[in-house]
Amino acid sequence: GGGLFLRAAATTATATARACRALAAFTASRRSLRTSPPSQGFAKELFLGTIEKKEVFPFPEVDQEELNEINQFLGPVEKFFTEEVDSQKIDREGKIPEETLEKLKSLGLFGMQVPEEYGGLGLSSTMYARLGEIIALDASITVTLAAHQSIGLKGIIITGNEEQKRKYLPKLASGEHIAAFCLTEPTSGSDAASIQTRATLSEDKKHYILTGSKMWITNGGLADIFTVFAKTQIVDSNNLVKDKITAFIVERNFGGVTNGKPEDKLGIRGSNTCEVHFENTKVPVENVLGEVGGGFKVAMNILNSGRFSMGSTVAGMLKKLIEMTAEYACTRKQFNKKLSEFGLIQEKFALMAQKAYVMESMAYLTAGLLDRPGVPDCSVEAAIVKVFSSEAAWQCVSEALQVLGGLGYMRDYPYERLLRDSRILLIFEGTNEILRMYIALTGLQHAGRILTARIKEIKRGNVNMIVETIGRRLRDSLGRTVDLGLTGKDGVVHPSLDDSANKLEENVYYFGRIVETLLLRFGKTIVEEQMVLKRVANILINLYSMTAVLSRASRSVRIGLRNHDHEVLLANIFCVEAYHQNVFALAQLDKYSPENLDEKIKKVAQQVLEKRTYICAHPLDKTS
Amino acid sequence: QVAPKVPRGLHCSAATHSSDSDSSVVPRPPEPSRWPMKGLAPHQELFGQAPSGERDKASFVQAVQNFKQHSVRRRGHVDFIYLALRQMRQYGVERDLAVYNLLLDIFPKEVFRPRSIIQYIFVHYPRQQECGLAILEQMENHGVMPNKETEFLLIQIFGHKSYPMLKFLRMKLWFSRFKNINPFPVPQDLPQDPVDLAKLGLRHMEPDLSARVTIYQMPLSKDSTGAADPTQPHIVGIQSPDQQAALARHNPARPIFVEGPFSLWLRDKCVYYHILRADLLAPEEREVEEILEEWNLYYPMQLDLDYGRSGWDDYEFDIQEVEEGPVFAMCMAGAHDQATLAKWIQGLQETNPALARIPVVFRLARSTGELLAASPGLEDLPPQPPVQGQEEEEDNLQRQQQQSQS
Repeated sequence: GGGLFLRAAATTATATARACRALAAFTASRRSLRTSPPSQGFAKELFLGTIEKKEVFPFPEVDQEELNEINQFLGPVEKFFTEEVDSQKIDREGKIPEETLEKLKSLGLFGMQVPEEYGGLGLSSTMYARLGEIIALDASITVTLAAHQSIGLKGIIITGNEEQKRKYLPKLASGEHIAAFCLTEPTSGSDAASIQTRATLSEDKKHYILTGSKMWITNGGLADIFTVFAKTQIVDSNNLVKDKITAFIVERNFGGVTNGKPEDKLGIRGSNTCEVHFENTKVPVENVLGEVGGGFKVAMNILNSGRFSMGSTVAGMLKKLIEMTAEYACTRKQFNKKLSEFGLIQEKFALMAQKAYVMESMAYLTAGLLDRPGVPDCSVEAAIVKVFSSEAAWQCVSEALQVLGGLGYMRDYPYERLLRDSRILLIFEGTNEILRMYIALTGLQHAGRILTARIKEIKRGNVNMIVETIGRRLRDSLGRTVDLGLTGKDGVVHPSLDDSANKLEENVYYFGRIVETLLLRFGKTIVEEQMVLKRVANILINLYSMTAVLSRASRSVRIGLRNHDHEVLLANIFCVEAYHQNVFALAQLDKYSPENLDEKIKKVAQQVLEKRTYICAHPLDKTS
Repeated sequence: QVAPKVPRGLHCSAATHSSDSDSSVVPRPPEPSRWPMKGLAPHQELFGQAPSGERDKASFVQAVQNFKQHSVRRRGHVDFIYLALRQMRQYGVERDLAVYNLLLDIFPKEVFRPRSIIQYIFVHYPRQQECGLAILEQMENHGVMPNKETEFLLIQIFGHKSYPMLKFLRMKLWFSRFKNINPFPVPQDLPQDPVDLAKLGLRHMEPDLSARVTIYQMPLSKDSTGAADPTQPHIVGIQSPDQQAALARHNPARPIFVEGPFSLWLRDKCVYYHILRADLLAPEEREVEEILEEWNLYYPMQLDLDYGRSGWDDYEFDIQEVEEGPVFAMCMAGAHDQATLAKWIQGLQETNPALARIPVVFRLARSTGELLAASPGLEDLPPQPPVQGQEEEEDNLQRQQQQSQS
């Protein structure tokens, strides 16, 4: 009895402590200026069943001056892309013409995110996203530019020292030099341990000798500056010799750099992708990017930082696609009716508009989060944007082709090219499967750390904790209204979106519960449960996108933007759909694997993979 | 061959006939033959009167047709059917459904059908029903599934309520259930060439589809007798990439063993194989596969939490698994002596350089060409007691290293 009492006392103590912390957070939020350290990130907090509304409400805005500036800049770029860029020719010839590249350089598009002091445009994430919408009109150019500045030279901006920045960035920003990011190898995709390229320190300790091959390097044939990742021998603190990855800035004229012929690809055919070989390339020690042996972190940071822009890029492409397809649907007549009058065609346009709206909202919300002062960690949000927008792109282009019928299949029209180009979005910058793992595991790690104490108590069999948990389950199952403060008197969401906001709150609350259940059930072995993680990631993607559209639509209504009622419609449609998806996924997560089909699915896969073929008998086969 | 002088039977044609050494599978009809020629089954002469003397389906069918033609009233058809059933194997038609239907067709129709309940209760025409059962029985033994035509014939001959019909229904039911019961099917016709047979057997045992079959040595002589030259028997081996990797990781201080021969039945053939294996490592000596710190560029490979799945959250079945030591390769050879198997090991060294540093111990049971009572040395079994020609060569410890150098 005594032990129980003590434990109960301890629980109350923790509860009080949590209350204090909550109070502190509350007071912090009251401050008008954000001086408190940036929080863990909005998406991660969702795993605890809470909405950090001060992070995402109101929707981030840019000041008028910046907006005017970018709008002035957008004009000529848009004119250039619509009038001078011949995407069909680029696709057919598999090459971006020299004069197009020159024009891009003169517009400054090769140094959009390079700080102004190094000759770039120094655009914020938001402005970069805005410009990305225009550039998206040609996928090959988008990819070429992204490989140059999103990953190719990003390493120098993030981790380069002053000297390296001054030496390389101006020429890269002007486009005189093109950058490429060399990480993938024949044996190594996301597995860093299997990188074979090796850099050894020369005798005089002034150079690294770099040898190895990289494959599928975008801009590999055009680039003059390469960010290369190679294994180096490091003596660690325990005096053990270890192989660790180091990042290097390698110039083509260091010697020994050759590249294969451009790969023949399904889409983005105008971008240059090839193998790059390094043979005894002498890289001066000053060109080590970051610390020796710290290349893994560098690579991760570069990859994580480059993803958010896909949202606006795809949105730009989709908006154009909607225009073109709508034109067709409103002119083509069948049975004396325009295509646009058929319900199934209307459905497709609503879908495209909705997807474009959601990804746009998410992209600019994330960009706004990234533009906050300090070093905000928005890698989960960026990954969500990437996953959502790439999948929406594929789906919408496919639906658009459906509207166009046979026309969409013809090579004389641009639609099939859009389909081919958009397929890569699901694959590069981390496949969507891998990013789902990242999204789910990062959040679960965050929640797990915070919930550790609680879960340990439950596992130890603390009666109070168990009774509390069961009591809460009971209350939940009897149906409770969740109020996380989005609506109501002090609500941040416009009343016309109340329903959707309540749905979001409900989802978030139960998501928090499920995360706790999952951690209790699996603990750290959840890493192995990829199908569970996929559902967790899907829910989180939905929650973040719901938040983004609610935030944006609320703002539009409040400040009275044009067609805000349309936005409210889109937001409500999306939220209801996402809500139902979430409810289904939550119900599945609550079940054990025999009930939620996971076990059966795994079994089927195992049987197929064991025989490495489709094993069912032919339907026409007989036993006799 | 001298044809025995026997008086011609009633339905004999004038054609010459040779006697067959009758190796029958089917039991003879229960009652003694009523026919005058003792020692030779009635209608024997119908078989083997094909002009070419060949024994194939056509001549078998011809024999049956002859019987039908010559005996319009089908006299003695039961004896003929029993005889035909015995002959089927020699004509190679024992798996042919059409032939069985042809045999059933010999029965006169509608005669044996029971027409009243009494007839049905007291088995109607038992001798004929038994004969019908014998046909179905032989079909069953050879795995021949009856078809609609069989059913139709049986109904015509014996009617719905008869024992052959009952047997037919049971066959229909159970054949379809047991036909594909074996998850590791063996082809109907096995290859005759021992090398091909060895390849098939090895593939049959190896679960990994990436495994590569290597012929280390082809049999030298392939003369008409089919007997391979004992100096150069065939050696066929199989090894999967995983096994290769495991062998490369193997600690050279620990010996590995060549063991065998173990038997494997493929339909009616028995083949023998040898394995290259090592002892199971003690739990404390095993390398724990650790998750590297900087491994995955995209997502964490492990969570920094100190609790995992607890006992009552584990909803797997509790299965007792016996761990065995790793098997690195398997082979089938024409001879089971050490010299032959040493050649296999030499051949393996080409793809497994690590093998040169590992001592190889040959533990061979010295009995070949016959079934082994038990497989010697599965999991750390002590050397088998020498029983009838099975002698362990445990003392015959050979350092493979020295051998490979020579």
